[in-house]
Amino acid sequence: MKRLGKSAIVFVAIGLLIFGGAYYAAELLMYRNGHSNPLFKITKAGPGAFDWIILGASHAMPLDFADFNDQMRRETGMKIINLASPGTGPLYNRFVLEIFLRDHSAKNLLYVVDSFAFYSHIWNEERFGDTKLLRATPFDVGIAGLLWQYSWHEGVERRALADYLSGFSKLNNRDRFQKDIWEGELQFDRVYRPSASAVKSRISYLFPSPEAPAALTRYLAEFSKLLDLAQKQNIRVVLVKMPTPAQFRAQLPNEADFSFAMSRLLAGQGFVLEDFSADLDEPRFYFDTDHLNRTGVTEFFTRHLRQLLASPRNREGRI
Amino acid sequence: MLFTSLEFFAFLPLVLLLFSTMRVSQRWAVLLVGSYVFYGIWNPFNLVYLGAVTLVVHGCGWALERAKYVIIRKALLAAGLVTVLGSLVAFKFYDFAAGEFERLVAPTIAVQLPRLAVSTPVGYSFYAVSASSYLIDVYVRRLSGASHPGHAALYVAYFPKIFAGPIERATHFLPQLLAALRADPDRIVLGLQLIGWGLFKKVVIADNLAPLVDRNFAIAAFASPIELLIGVYFFAFQIYCDFSGYTDIAIGISLLFGIQLMENFRRPYLSRATSEFWGERWHISLGRWFRDYLYIPSGGSHAGPARQYLNIMIVFVVSGLWHAGLGYGVGWTFLVWGALNGGYQWAGLATHQSWRRLGERLPGVAQSAVLVVFRVLLTFHLIAISWVFFRARSIDDALMILRKIGTNLLDIASVVVGYPFTADHFLGMALIVLLLVVEIFDERRSVSQRLATAPTMLRWGVYYLVIFGLLILGRWQAKEFIYMQF
Repeated sequence: MKRLGKSAIVFVAIGLLIFGGAYYAAELLMYRNGHSNPLFKITKAGPGAFDWIILGASHAMPLDFADFNDQMRRETGMKIINLASPGTGPLYNRFVLEIFLRDHSAKNLLYVVDSFAFYSHIWNEERFGDTKLLRATPFDVGIAGLLWQYSWHEGVERRALADYLSGFSKLNNRDRFQKDIWEGELQFDRVYRPSASAVKSRISYLFPSPEAPAALTRYLAEFSKLLDLAQKQNIRVVLVKMPTPAQFRAQLPNEADFSFAMSRLLAGQGFVLEDFSADLDEPRFYFDTDHLNRTGVTEFFTRHLRQLLASPRNREGRI
Repeated sequence: MLFTSLEFFAFLPLVLLLFSTMRVSQRWAVLLVGSYVFYGIWNPFNLVYLGAVTLVVHGCGWALERAKYVIIRKALLAAGLVTVLGSLVAFKFYDFAAGEFERLVAPTIAVQLPRLAVSTPVGYSFYAVSASSYLIDVYVRRLSGASHPGHAALYVAYFPKIFAGPIERATHFLPQLLAALRADPDRIVLGLQLIGWGLFKKVVIADNLAPLVDRNFAIAAFASPIELLIGVYFFAFQIYCDFSGYTDIAIGISLLFGIQLMENFRRPYLSRATSEFWGERWHISLGRWFRDYLYIPSGGSHAGPARQYLNIMIVFVVSGLWHAGLGYGVGWTFLVWGALNGGYQWAGLATHQSWRRLGERLPGVAQSAVLVVFRVLLTFHLIAISWVFFRARSIDDALMILRKIGTNLLDIASVVVGYPFTADHFLGMALIVLLLVVEIFDERRSVSQRLATAPTMLRWGVYYLVIFGLLILGRWQAKEFIYMQF
C-alpha cells in the first residue's frame, strides 16, 4: 500500500511537470499569436501614460483594425489604446479598465455605448468565461486576483477563474497556431450588401432574451461604477454611439427607452452621450450588418472623431 | 448531466465518497439516489417517466411472481409491455405517423389529427427495453419478480447506463447487488483505464470528426464527391467512438462501484462479415436483446429457411425503428437502414456455405492475410454505406450522396491529390489511424493486459498520452452523445 501511495505521488508529480511544460508552451504560443485581446494589449503595451483609452464592444473595434490606430495617432498626435472587445458589456469593460489602471494612466476615456450590452448577462458575467477571451489572456497574478474578486462579488462564474488559473482554454486552444484576430478585422475592407434576414438574425443574437428592465438597471449600475472609477482617476470620459445602418437601427428593440435611461444616468453624473448612430446610413460604410469598414471609419474619423480626440482636456474631467 | 461535463467530474467523486462510507448492504441506496440526481438534473420532469417505468416493472413483476393462472400472467406481461414499449413507440412515432397519415389522405380528405408534441425522454429507448426484458425474464421464470424494490428501481435507473446503455439484463445486474458491492484494486485500475479511453474516444476522436461530418452532410447537395466521401468515412468512426466511448465510460464507472456491466463493443470495424459485426461486435447488448426477445421467440433459425430470412429482416427493421429518434430525426431513413442491414444478413446467409466450402478446400487461401483484410474492408464499406442512411436527412439525400460518390469513384484518386485538406482533416485521419492501431493491438491481446505487464515507464507514458490528449485535443464544450438522443 505504501509502495502504491509512493507511485501515485511520483505519477502525479511527473504529470504536474508535464502540465507545467505544456502550460508554459501554451503561454508562449499565446504571446506569439496574441493580437485583439484587451488584456493582452495591456500587457504588451508596457507601463506608461496614454492620452486616450477606448472601451466598448465590437462597434469600437474597427478603430483599431489594421493600421487605423496608428493613423489616428499620427493625425491627432494622441497616444491611443483601444481595449474594446467583441460582445462585452460594462462589467467586463470595468474589469479591463481596472487592470489597465494598475500600471497605466490615461487622460481620456472614449466609451462606445451599445444598448445590447446592457440587457444580458451573456455580454457581462458570462463573457468572462468565454474561451476565446480566456485563451488569449496572458497569465498575470493581478488579473487572477481581480478575477477572483469578480467571481465572489460580481457574479462572474467561478468556472472562468478555474479556467484562467489552470490555463485550460490556452492548452485546449484549437486555433493555437493562428493569430488571435477577430473575424471582423479580416473583413475590414469589405462592403456590406444589405440583407434583412442578416439584420434580423444579428438582432436576435445581440438580444437573446426579452429586454428585461431589471437587467438594464443592473448593468447601468455597473456602468456607473465604471464612470466612478474613471472619475477617481481624473480621467475625462467621452461617451459615443457609433454609426450604424438605418436598417439595423430600426430593428433595435427599446432603443428609445435605453437612450432615455442612459441619458438620465449620465445627466446625474454630468456626462453627455454623443449620438452618431444616424450619421452614416449608407451600406458602403459597413463591412457587415453594423460594423464600420475602412471607408466608414475614415469618414467617421474625418467628420467627428479627429476633432473629438484632439480637443484639449477639460480640467474638470468632463465635457 | 453529461459524462464529459465539469458537473459530472464533481458528481462522480461525491457519489464514490458516499458509496465507500456507506455500509456494504446499503450501498445500492447511494447509487439509486445518485442515479435520480444524475437523471433529474437533465430535466426533473423526466423523473416522472422513469418513476412510471419503475412502478410498472416492479408492480407487474411482483404480480407475475404471484399469479398462478397462465392467462393472468399473460395479461400482466402484455399490460407491462404495452405500457413500457407502447409509450416508447408513441413517443417516437405518433406525431410522425399522424403527419404522414394526414399527408397520405390529404388529396381526398383534410384531416387534422391531434399531436402529442412530447419528445422522447432522454435515455427512454434504453431503459424501456431494459424494463421490458425484466418483465419477460420474470414471465419465463428466469428471474424472480420478488426482487428488492430498491434493487429493481436501481436496475432501471442506474446512472452510468441510463442514457445509452449497455442494455443490461436484470439476470446479470441484480445478483451483483445482492453480493457485496465492493471494488477491488484491479477493477479500479481497469475502470479508470476504460473511463480514460472512453473519454478519449468521445471528446478527442468523435468530437473532432463531428464538425467535418456535420458540415459535409449539411451541404450534401453542393459538396464535392471527395467531401462526401470524407463525411461518410469520418461518420463511421465518429458514431463508433461516440457510442463506444459512452459505454466504455459507463462500464468503467461501474467497475469503480464493483459492478460489472456487459461488454457492448468488441472492435467492430475488424469484423470479417456483417453478421459478425452485428452479432458479436457492435452494440452487443442490443443485438442480444433482439436475439433473445424477438428472433428466438419468433422461431429463429429453427422454423425453416424462409421463416429464418423473415425473422432476420423483422429484427433489423425493428432495430431500425428503435434507432429512429431525435438525433437525426424520425424518418424513413432508419427503416431503410434496418432493411439494408437485414439484406446484408440475407446475402451473408446465402453465401455462408460457399465461404465454408472455400475454407475446407483451400484453408490457406481462406485464412490468408490478404483475404482477411479484403473481407474486413468489404464489411467496413458495407456498414459505412448503411450509415449514410442513418445519418442523412432523407432517403433522397442518402441516395444522392451515394450516387455522387459512386459515379465519381474512379476520379476521386486524382482529386485527392489536389484537394485542400485542412489541419482538421489531418487530425481526424491521424486519430482514426491511432484508433485502428490500438484496436488491432487489442484484438490480439487486450491493451489492458498488455499495460499490466508493461514496464512502468511505458504504462505511465500511455496514461500521460491519454490525459494530455484529452486536455490538449479534446473538444469539451462540444456535443451530447449521439445515442443519448435515440
